[in-house]
Parts: sequence; structure tokens; C-alpha cells
Amino acid sequence: MIRERLLGWSHAFDHPVSRWISIGVAAALVVALLVIALLSATGRIRDPFRKELWKRTLAWGVMAPLLIGPVLLGAAWTILSITILSLACYREFARASGLFREKLVSAVVVLGVLAVQFAALDHWYGFFVALFPLTVILIAATSILPDSPKGYLQRVALGVLAFMLFGSSLGHVSYMANDWNYRPIILMLLLGVQLNDVFAFISGKTFGRRKIVPHTSPNKTVAGHLGALLLTTPLVATIAHFIFPGTPLDRPLWLILLGVIVSLSGQLGDLMLSSIKRDIGIKDMGVLIPGHGGVLDRINSVLLAAPAVFHYIGFFVGFGLDQPTRIFTGP
Amino acid sequence: MTDGERPMDEWKFQPARDLGLPFSDRLKSLRRESGLIGTLFHILWWSLVRCYLRLYHRLKVEGRENLPQEAPFILVSNHSSHLDVLALAAPCPAKLRDRLFPIAAGDTFFEKVPIAAFAAYALNALPLWRKHCDPKDLEELRQRLSDEPCAYVLFPEGTRTRSGDMARFKRGIGALVASTLVPVIPCFLQGAFEAFPAAARFPRPRRLTLKVGPPLRFPASANDKDGWTEVAARVEAEVRRLGGLPPVQS
Repeated sequence: MIRERLLGWSHAFDHPVSRWISIGVAAALVVALLVIALLSATGRIRDPFRKELWKRTLAWGVMAPLLIGPVLLGAAWTILSITILSLACYREFARASGLFREKLVSAVVVLGVLAVQFAALDHWYGFFVALFPLTVILIAATSILPDSPKGYLQRVALGVLAFMLFGSSLGHVSYMANDWNYRPIILMLLLGVQLNDVFAFISGKTFGRRKIVPHTSPNKTVAGHLGALLLTTPLVATIAHFIFPGTPLDRPLWLILLGVIVSLSGQLGDLMLSSIKRDIGIKDMGVLIPGHGGVLDRINSVLLAAPAVFHYIGFFVGFGLDQPTRIFTGP
Repeated sequence: MTDGERPMDEWKFQPARDLGLPFSDRLKSLRRESGLIGTLFHILWWSLVRCYLRLYHRLKVEGRENLPQEAPFILVSNHSSHLDVLALAAPCPAKLRDRLFPIAAGDTFFEKVPIAAFAAYALNALPLWRKHCDPKDLEELRQRLSDEPCAYVLFPEGTRTRSGDMARFKRGIGALVASTLVPVIPCFLQGAFEAFPAAARFPRPRRLTLKVGPPLRFPASANDKDGWTEVAARVEAEVRRLGGLPPVQS
């Protein structure tokens, strides 16, 4: 049973929601590419907009399989890919904020990220929860060692925030993989926050006038955020209804609240990264994804959504309660 | 407290100097800064080098007290083999590992990505392009030296000696330190030509002796071509003296 959950790729499409989301995303990408090809061929769009559109869509064509593929393959692959993602995000954050020069703090954060992912893989909730205070203790303690109190608070605070975002927060996505039915849940979360961004972009472009936080992010509008909330909420609520039928969560009000949580925490994650970039004074976190910036620029909306969604679903349903715990460390 | 006054000091964020560069450009960037992985490789590589030099070449360091414990500084020496950079950098304090940059020939060490990756991740080298050297590169190296601060290992002859005789120093060294207080540490490495001449494929187990001289500073030298030539001549004379070579007749 453990083996089947961790590596059983034959279960990839057991749940209809996994099937729909995978087919839907693949179809959307194909349609998007066809539409762009058609618009280019008929000369309706021109450079540089045409090039930019190609670049962004093709980047999605690479990113979507990289995100969805491991989730479908098995829990072990999911956790492995989230681990790599977490480390890539931390690297960008550390280099942008200057935290990477504090080698000791950096090493502790990386260690913390790996430990959280191990706790998730092991299905050891006690350790998973304990790692937050333990890593923070270790960051605060190792920061003493260089014996240079100037900047102590800054490096501890940056280290703690980095661990919270890329260790603890993203670790919640990995921990979800302990549920037998983790595939549709994680896919719903990823699809929800990414479409939330797309909805915000489209409704902002169409109706947006009043800026919401001009000092933080000059291109974001009130209409964009409301539009995203109005479109994402019913989408997530509907998907969740099919994932959790007959559970205490399966009531219209609770489902809608889940949709609101996904949408709001997704948007706040986006604005959080904007604030961080503004404060540091840079435009993009990296150059890894053509047309999108760094990994963090794309994954920002998952950062706050993951723990919020995890604990909301956990309150009603729980994760992997019927699954064996402490797979590797257990007696 | 009046309006607009900040209750606390502002935090100072200093993003990586090489932020936003693609991998291959980062390797040969003069602004490269190493992260956790780079640091691990540097520690590993230089520990191996220290063992190798001690066991295989029985490296002896004379005048170790002249090696600075803090950046900035520039180590300068005669150049007769690929062992030179190892023998000069290995005795430096371990805490400077990430900020001690051997200056290597761009055309030899940074043209191909795998070699550039070795130069960056193991040696922590920075490139200088010999044939078409941009004056801005020297300016960038000069700035970084005191801004970061960091340290360089430099061979002002510009290439390994093919005959065993020391060549004249080029004036680039002057462009890095003229009219600053950054110390130049003159060194002379003995035995490297016998151990690993340019024509040899593998090093032979000959003894190496590194003589480290007292630091030289050039606050009064002008930061122009004449000043640079003067700096180069003085450093060269000191390296020759350490090596027991007669002064150059000009």
C-alpha cells in the first residue's frame, strides 16, 4: 500500500478529477498554441508582442508537465520535485536578499528544507510540526557563531522567513502527498492558484482602472483581484465538491470558503513577492523561465496558499489518516 | 521623534553582484559570488590541494607572517607552472576561501563551459582576457577589491615562463592598486619550473619553496599609465630580490 502510494504510477488517473485537470491543462495549452499560431499567420499580432506571447506560452508548455507529471507519477516523485522546487526558490531568495553570504544561516535553512521534506516523505507529523521551532532555534543559534552582532537581526529574520516560505510552507504540499487521494488535491491547489493569476491578469486588463496597492505593484487593479476572486472561488468549490463528496467539507458554504481561501492567499502570495522585490529593489527574482522571470516569480502564489489550504482541509477531512505513519523511522 | 524620521536603521539588502546572469555568463563574470554549493566545492578543492602540496611537493612557506589575515590584498609572484596558483592560494586563511580569486587567463580557462565551471567552482578564478583586455575589466577588479573587500592571486608576467627565466612584469598590476592602500604581497616560488614546466604533462615530486615578502603599498603612485609602470617595476624588483635574482638592467 505504501509502495503503491509512493511509486504507483498506474494510479495516476484513478480519480476523475486528476483526469479532467490533466486533460484540461493539456487541451488549454494546445488551444493556446493553435490560437497564437493562427493569429501570427493571419498577421493579427505582431512583434514584439507575438514573440513575448510565444515565449510565455512555450514556457507554460514546459512548466505544466514538470509540475503535473511528478504529482501523477507518485507521492515520492511529488515530494522529490517539491524539494527541488523549494531549494530553487530558496536559492533565488537568498541571492536576491544577500542572505547567501551568511553561509551558516544558509546551510541551516537548506538543512531545514531537507528535513521537512523527509518528515513529509516519512509521514511523521510530529517531526514535521516540530521542525518549525527547531529550525528557527538553530538559525538563531548559529547566527551567534560569527560573533558579529551587527546585522544579527537581519540575518536571523531573513533566515526564518526563508525557512517558513520554502521549507515549512512548501513542505505542506509535500505532506498532502501522504493522503491516498493526494493527486486531485494537489492538482486542485496548483491549478487554482495558477488560474487565479491568469484570471486576475485578464479581468485586470479588461476592467481594471483603480490601482489596489500602487506602491507595491503598479499594475495590479481592484477589478483584477475581484475578478480573480469571483472566477476562482466557484471553480475551486466545484472541484473540491468532487474530491470530498460526503465529507463534512462537502457543504456549499465550506466549499465556497475553500475557494475564497485559495484565491485570497494566492493573490496575497503574489503581492508578498512584489513587496519583497520592491524592498530589495529588483525586478525579477531570476532568469530561469523565459518570459516569466525566476522560479519564485511563478510559484509565489503557492507559498501562502499551501499551509492555509492544508489546515483548512485538515480541519474537516485530514490527510492520510488511514495511511501507515513513520514509514522509514517507525519501529 | 519628528515626522518622517525612521524609528530604526534601515536594513541594507545587497543582492548578489551577479544576480540575473545565465549560468554560462555567471561563470566568467567578474562579479561572480559563490553560494553554498560553490563554497562547499572551494573548501573541498583547497583541502585536497593543501594535502597534495604537503605530501607530493613538501611545500615550505618562508615568511608566512607576511600573509594577510584580512582582505583586501593581492598576492603576486613569478609564474613558471600551473602549480603556482595552488602554492600561493593554499596557505591563505580558510575564511577567505570565497573571496580569494586567482586571476586566470580568460582565453585558457573560460572559453569552454566545463573548464570554466572548474575554474569557477574549484579554483574560484576570475578571468582576464589577455588579447583584447577591456580597461573596464581592470576598473571592475580594482573596485571590487576594496568594495567587497576581496583578494587576488596575480601573475604579472602574464604567462608561464618557457625558459625558466622570469619575464618583465606587465603594468596591469598597477591599475589595480595605484593610489590606494591595498597591499601587494610579493612572493617568489622556487622549484615550480623544475616540478612542472609548461612542456610537461604531469608534475614531478620536486620540493616547492614559497618566499613571502613584506607588503608593498602604493598610495603615492598616480593612477595612470606612468604610475602603473612604476608600481609594476617596484613589485618586480621586490620579487626578484626575494628570488635572489639580480636587478633588471634598464
